[in-house]
Amino acid sequence: MEEKIARLKQEAAEVIRKHVDSLSQLNDIRVQYLGKKGEITSLLRGLGQLSKEDRPRIGQIVNEARAQLEALIEEKNTQLKAAELQQKLDNEKIDITLPGRKAWAGHLHPLTLTLNRIKSIFMDMGFSVEEGPEIETDYYDFEALNLPKDHPARDMQDSFYITEDILMRTQTSPVQARTMEAHEPNSPIRMIAPGRVYRRDDYDATHSPMFTQVEGLVIDEGICFSDLKGTLELFLHKIFNENIGVRFRPSFFPFTEPSAEVDISCVMCHGQGCRVCKGTGWLEILGAGMVHPHVLEMSGYDPEKVSGFAFGMGVERIAMLSYGIDDLRLFYDNDVRFLQQFK
Amino acid sequence: MQVSIKWLKDYIDFTETPEELADKLTMAGIPVENVVHTGEGLEKVVVGKLTEVRPHENSDHLQICTVDVAKGEPLTIVTGAPNVQEGQLVPVALVGAHLPNGQKIEKSKMRGVLSMGMLCSAEEMRLDLDALPESQKNGIYILPEDTTVGVSVKDVLGLDDVILEFELTANRADCFSVLGLVREISVLTGNPMHFPEIKVNEDDAADSKDLVSVSIQANDLCKRFSAGVLKNVKIGPSPKWMQQRLEGAGIRSINNVVDVTNFVMIELGQPMHAYDYDEITGHSLTARKAVKGENLHTLDDSSRVANGTELVIADAEKPAGLAGIMGGLESEITEKTTTVVLEAASFYGPNIRRTARSCGLHSEASGRFERGVDVTETPRAIKRASQLLQEMGACTVCKNIVDVYPEPVVPVKISFTAPQINRRLGTKLSGDVMCDILKKLGFGIETVSDESYTAVVPSWRNDVTRWEDLSEEVAQVYGFDEIPSTTPHGRVMSAGQSKKQYFIEKMKAVLCSLGLDETASFAFTHPSMYDKMQVPEDSMLRTAIPIMNPLTDEYPLVRTTLLSSVFENVVRNLSRKNEDVRLFEIAPVFYPKSLPVTELPDEVMKAAGIITGRRAPLGWNQVNDEVDFYDLKGIIEELLTALSIKRYTVEVGEHYVMHPGKTAVIKKGNDILAYIGEVHPAVAEAFSVKKKMYAFEMDVLTLMKHSEEHFNYTHLPKYPAVSRDLALLVDRDLPAMDIEKVIKKNAGPYFKEVCLFDVYTGKQVDSAKKSVAFSLLFQSNDKTLTDAEVDEAFGKIVSEVEKLFGAELRA
Repeated sequence: MEEKIARLKQEAAEVIRKHVDSLSQLNDIRVQYLGKKGEITSLLRGLGQLSKEDRPRIGQIVNEARAQLEALIEEKNTQLKAAELQQKLDNEKIDITLPGRKAWAGHLHPLTLTLNRIKSIFMDMGFSVEEGPEIETDYYDFEALNLPKDHPARDMQDSFYITEDILMRTQTSPVQARTMEAHEPNSPIRMIAPGRVYRRDDYDATHSPMFTQVEGLVIDEGICFSDLKGTLELFLHKIFNENIGVRFRPSFFPFTEPSAEVDISCVMCHGQGCRVCKGTGWLEILGAGMVHPHVLEMSGYDPEKVSGFAFGMGVERIAMLSYGIDDLRLFYDNDVRFLQQFK
Repeated sequence: MQVSIKWLKDYIDFTETPEELADKLTMAGIPVENVVHTGEGLEKVVVGKLTEVRPHENSDHLQICTVDVAKGEPLTIVTGAPNVQEGQLVPVALVGAHLPNGQKIEKSKMRGVLSMGMLCSAEEMRLDLDALPESQKNGIYILPEDTTVGVSVKDVLGLDDVILEFELTANRADCFSVLGLVREISVLTGNPMHFPEIKVNEDDAADSKDLVSVSIQANDLCKRFSAGVLKNVKIGPSPKWMQQRLEGAGIRSINNVVDVTNFVMIELGQPMHAYDYDEITGHSLTARKAVKGENLHTLDDSSRVANGTELVIADAEKPAGLAGIMGGLESEITEKTTTVVLEAASFYGPNIRRTARSCGLHSEASGRFERGVDVTETPRAIKRASQLLQEMGACTVCKNIVDVYPEPVVPVKISFTAPQINRRLGTKLSGDVMCDILKKLGFGIETVSDESYTAVVPSWRNDVTRWEDLSEEVAQVYGFDEIPSTTPHGRVMSAGQSKKQYFIEKMKAVLCSLGLDETASFAFTHPSMYDKMQVPEDSMLRTAIPIMNPLTDEYPLVRTTLLSSVFENVVRNLSRKNEDVRLFEIAPVFYPKSLPVTELPDEVMKAAGIITGRRAPLGWNQVNDEVDFYDLKGIIEELLTALSIKRYTVEVGEHYVMHPGKTAVIKKGNDILAYIGEVHPAVAEAFSVKKKMYAFEMDVLTLMKHSEEHFNYTHLPKYPAVSRDLALLVDRDLPAMDIEKVIKKNAGPYFKEVCLFDVYTGKQVDSAKKSVAFSLLFQSNDKTLTDAEVDEAFGKIVSEVEKLFGAELRA
């Protein structure tokens, strides 16, 4: 009996170790030995026929054999499952170098991106964003800015006229006067006015009949030229970088006094002199000045009580310098291969 | 304005290089645009004499010249210029020369003949062509017969000079003269100026006052009119030094009298004119307004009919010149002239400007009058011109100057205080420092009390009228760089963008997220665009605002629809083989209130776009179909959802650019939110586009009006939802939206949502029918629904669609 048990045990272990390589085979083995009619099970059933003396001893041996066999089957089961999983994983392998599934990604226009940066810098400094019409009266575009008819400074801007007195605005500066008029006289203003402007310039790499400007105006008690310097330096350091050189050069605009052109050190050559800066090391980037007292007066402000500064910049120029774009026409050409480069 | 360094150095000493001087002037508000070294590149160009000129035997246009350059053997040089002749003196670029146009001169064989240099044209030497007579502009430049052979042409042509080209601002009229610039240089360098003393030996026998009479009839247009008479005038060329100074200023030499008037204009800034005395009828000159219809015959030999606004200088009979712009042809200085009347006057700038513009005659003189001249200078200018001509031995000068000056100007006085200027600049300068600066600039200073002054403005600074102008003078000389940098302090105000601006920003972001690229286009259009887009003849869109002076014929109108711009952009991309184009733009269009325009038009913000090409980027794992109507509709639905626009309706629409069977109009009440549709095949054909395009157009403010900014969130349901599918066979033409409406209406209290998930036409169904399948969702907020409850609702829907549409329930 004991021999039979030992033989059965060994035989089963042998088969499990050597001949079982699938879960179904393993299950067959389990049924063969441990199932209801299995060989070990029938041994257990046969215990009753044994003598009283042998029964406990043999019973123990059979139970041990069963436990060992169960453990063996369990172990094999784990092995087989792991192997099966491995097999499944191996079969499921993909070429991860194939391109991913793409979706159309849209792009904001580079002028919008640049304008958004400009707006956010000024909004962080407490500026509001104002607007005005693109078709303007001669009064707001010129006269309210201290540029009476037949003033030679009007030569600086050749305009698209609709009538004698209505034109495509040549600058965003008319928003200054409109904003002042909309305010209680002498109340403080801190605004920028971005927008499209129009000049009768030939369309080439640096000129366009339509382009984008940002006008700025700060009015309050005690605003001075040093405030203009500080504010614009702050802006230029944020829009370009902290290390950029900034210089203020005397100039003339009919609506400011004193007036300045603001230059930055050339972003291409870092001030060494190159084709972009025409060898000067400097790039003109902004026009600015203290608001002319007559401009304040015309819009109902009292230059004895408040003062202010104004500035204007071209968004195309800043975008061109930021992205190294060498032809202004690209902005209005709208080739998707250009547009899709801007993230 | 341009002037040579030599001319400046005639009146002031300085040690700065031309570049350093240019930088100093620029930083003081007198911008120098270019510094031009005239002789640069001409170091190896010498005077040569053509001792022999013979034709090249292997060429019908080349000539072989033997050129004596006074050093070594004569050179053989081949030239293609037809204007060379034996005996001429010409500029010769020797081997090794590196010309200003970049050309390097080397030995070269030309059709078998070795050429040892090159004969030069004016252009090759980069001479100022404007300052040359017509005969010297083309071909080889011919030098005067008395030129020394072998010497450098730089010396001969006076090209050892440096020219400063200014881009002066409109306010600094005073710097449109050598005198004005020298004055500034004196302030900047601290060196004194040494302007020559003006003195004339007058001929006591003749008095200008007896010879010529002068009057002003238009007091508002002419402030002062001075005249002097020169007798025994000998017309001839002006001296070389004067010709060179004028050439440096970009002015061509004509004869001694004309050259002197130009010289004085550049030197003092006072424009002058010289008349042939004998051609002035009645020997009288009157500044008056032209009579309408009167003939104006100017020096350029053109006749103009006066419109009556021009100021003319007339003799006893007729206009003898357009005041301040151009003289008359009859009284022009000629070789026969023996008596000359010199005119120096002060004309009203805006009038001169208007006349110059309307005649298209912009001259050095008119430019100066437009900006304003120093009214005190006229007698000095007459004297200076007389002096120069007398020094040349070209005339005798009659005594006295006829000077009509009805209302002498009173110097402008401006009160200011030092704290006032410091407050404007953000500086802490003392009154003394400010006064020093102003004095150097020629201002008179009267001290009123401590730190309080009166400045007397010099006559040449008519741009300075108020104390703020003085602050600019102080700031410029003190130096903008020296002024500190601060930031404003003040009250906190409402900042940021308007609701509309934020709304547009959001629209742009959403459209980008849906895969569209933003464009920026000119606001102009062309009438042919309306034809191509099939805009009806009577549509108000065709009443676009015309530009009075368009740049080109391409864009004569201001656009009334954004689609014209979008089409241009799409077509341009497609023509460049960009196959997948998905563009949008948000920008205004312009509706005139009436035509012709009498008031500002309405500017209406629109959004429009077009998609065409693949549904997804080309890829191995993509459905590489072309987009269709529903791709666009999905984009617009997503946009409306993102903008919180709800409960809109979609109807069959009609739009001029769109396919009549594939157009939808999205509405909220009576407001139109969007038109979407396939581009009409005829429109596509008009733009020569073969692909299908899908276009949309929206009005931004209408969208904004229906955007529900505020909403409350919905509680998440606690009880499970029950889903039922409803598949129906219906008439093929029945709009799906109609079925949905019936479903929603009859779905009972537990209805949550419906989704159309399948539409089928084809073999499986009757050709007049289609199969549509909806997924319905039922859910209660306070209980788990029973089958019976859902069955009831479902049954109601089925019976209604059967009744209303003859729909058949599919298994």
